[in-house]
Amino acid sequence: MDGGKDMRFSKKPNSAIKRFIMTLLFLAVSALLVTGCGTGENDGLAGKGKLKVTATTGMIADVAQEIGGEDVAVTGLMGSGVDPHLYKASYGDVKKLDRADIIFYNGLHLEGKMAEMFEKLEKRKPTVAISSRIPESDLRSFPGGGSQSHDPHIWFNVKMWISAAEVIRDSLIEKDPVHAEGYQARAAAYIGKLEELDRYTTEQIRAIPEERRILVTAHDAFGYFGDEYGLEVTGLQGMNTMSEYGSRDVSSLRDFLVENKIKAVFIESSVPKKAIESVIQGARSMGHEVTIGGELFSDAMGEAGTVEGTYIGMVRHNVDTIVQALR
Amino acid sequence: MSDFWILLTGMLVASCSGILGAFLVLRKMAMIGDAISHSVMPGIVIAFLLSGSRDSILMMVAAMACGLFAVFLIQLFQNKGVQADASIGVVFTALFAIGVLLVSLFARQVHLDQDAILYGEIAYVHWNTWVVNGIDLGPKAVWLLGITLIIIVTVISLFYKQFKLCSFDPALAAACGIPVALFHYLLMGMVSMATVSSFESVGAILVVGMLIIPAATAYLLTDRLGRMIVLSVGVGILSVFGGYAAAVMLDASIAGCIVCAAAVLFVLAFLFSPSHGIVAKKLRLRKLAA
Repeated sequence: MDGGKDMRFSKKPNSAIKRFIMTLLFLAVSALLVTGCGTGENDGLAGKGKLKVTATTGMIADVAQEIGGEDVAVTGLMGSGVDPHLYKASYGDVKKLDRADIIFYNGLHLEGKMAEMFEKLEKRKPTVAISSRIPESDLRSFPGGGSQSHDPHIWFNVKMWISAAEVIRDSLIEKDPVHAEGYQARAAAYIGKLEELDRYTTEQIRAIPEERRILVTAHDAFGYFGDEYGLEVTGLQGMNTMSEYGSRDVSSLRDFLVENKIKAVFIESSVPKKAIESVIQGARSMGHEVTIGGELFSDAMGEAGTVEGTYIGMVRHNVDTIVQALR
Repeated sequence: MSDFWILLTGMLVASCSGILGAFLVLRKMAMIGDAISHSVMPGIVIAFLLSGSRDSILMMVAAMACGLFAVFLIQLFQNKGVQADASIGVVFTALFAIGVLLVSLFARQVHLDQDAILYGEIAYVHWNTWVVNGIDLGPKAVWLLGITLIIIVTVISLFYKQFKLCSFDPALAAACGIPVALFHYLLMGMVSMATVSSFESVGAILVVGMLIIPAATAYLLTDRLGRMIVLSVGVGILSVFGGYAAAVMLDASIAGCIVCAAAVLFVLAFLFSPSHGIVAKKLRLRKLAA
């Protein structure tokens, strides 16, 4: 009985498959139509006639906007709170890069495989690594990391960021010489602000008693910051947010906290708190009280529209937080 | 133009993985794509430590060698009587762990993992072109995957009968004088080649998904191997178009959308397949009862 039914059913698989294939075809055609419509709609980007600038990180987009002013339309790829090491491009990001007249990126492998693509893209439109003018001798390199491995987190050394701003200014002028005067003037004003920020940072960090100038964070983004402004920087994790921290890291950092009587450690906006909290627990069990000094911005800025959503605001926030907790 | 190249690359990935996926699903080894994606880690780390560079061709060769080594081990364990899923699990977790260990011993300050070094992104394929003597020959990924597809189609069609028999009844195949182990290694070698070259071009999740989901969908729709391969490729290509459309509408990750589209098609087949679908089975039962 059962077998008979099954036999009858399997006698006509062809018509079923034909119907299925027809459905597939219908879906494919509708998918194509949608694709076509979609690309049409998105073409009306804001800012017609302006130079279209696309930047990878929020920090770079901020500087490009400050220098470009009304002459450019800036789009950033990585929003606030996005870890550049973990960034994934969306369809819209591809279009932003496709339509850009000029692309700014950090370089030094911050953008991973994406940077390779920027080098290829260079043939069609200017793609500029904003770290390109920093002399190699100033870059931090890592033991055993090979010749190409440098610390990419240059933005917390304001002097290096001034060099980055100059790269952006000159690239904009080269691409769009008609508005050169505007770029020059705005860049001069902005670099003036950066120089002031640099002085502010130096003074503020000096206000911390020397033996307390030790910055403990969950992510090693502050190497250049420590070098430039005279802080010892100790991190729990290595350079990248992907590598797992080992139990040796946790216990050696705990001992370090207890030995150096460190008052506060810092968490960061784009790194989970868990790692650093286990260290605090460990120190407490050894009778040393450590507080969380506050949240530092490391790989990404704060929400757009807030003070911390600009480069200068982000650095000031970090400096004030560090000084307050350690002084 | 970018849309065309992304879709073409997606279709090539769907075809390569669709064909191989059909055999893998039949042999209950569908997770091998995921296994290879993790197994290549020590290869990348060792190549980086020895050369100090992140050159993409070097990394791919190292990954390919490591992938082949992994599938060889998996096949070896399986031939010696370890269950298929267990041998996959043992090999890829062990190799991945060796990679993690090497990073933590020798390269802890460097950003080193498959994501940063090997995996490409389908969204970028049209910018990564191959230039010879100043002539732009189109995206590298299309060449790489196109050649891989030609090799796969050639080998499979030359030895179709052998592969078929080895997949369904290895004992009978051996009795007929077919070198079963050789064909298993050949298939696994092609899988390794296809997955690593796809990782380099389009990233991991897309390959792992395309290797399993369309083949599993096709398995629900037919009981014949030839038809299953065709349907598997068809479902894969359909997922590429549907997923791309979704990525455009949602402004989301293209690879993510394509794999989700494949999953939707799988669910549709699971429910409504004329032969194996839940609805069809219910209807048949009701007819039987009446």
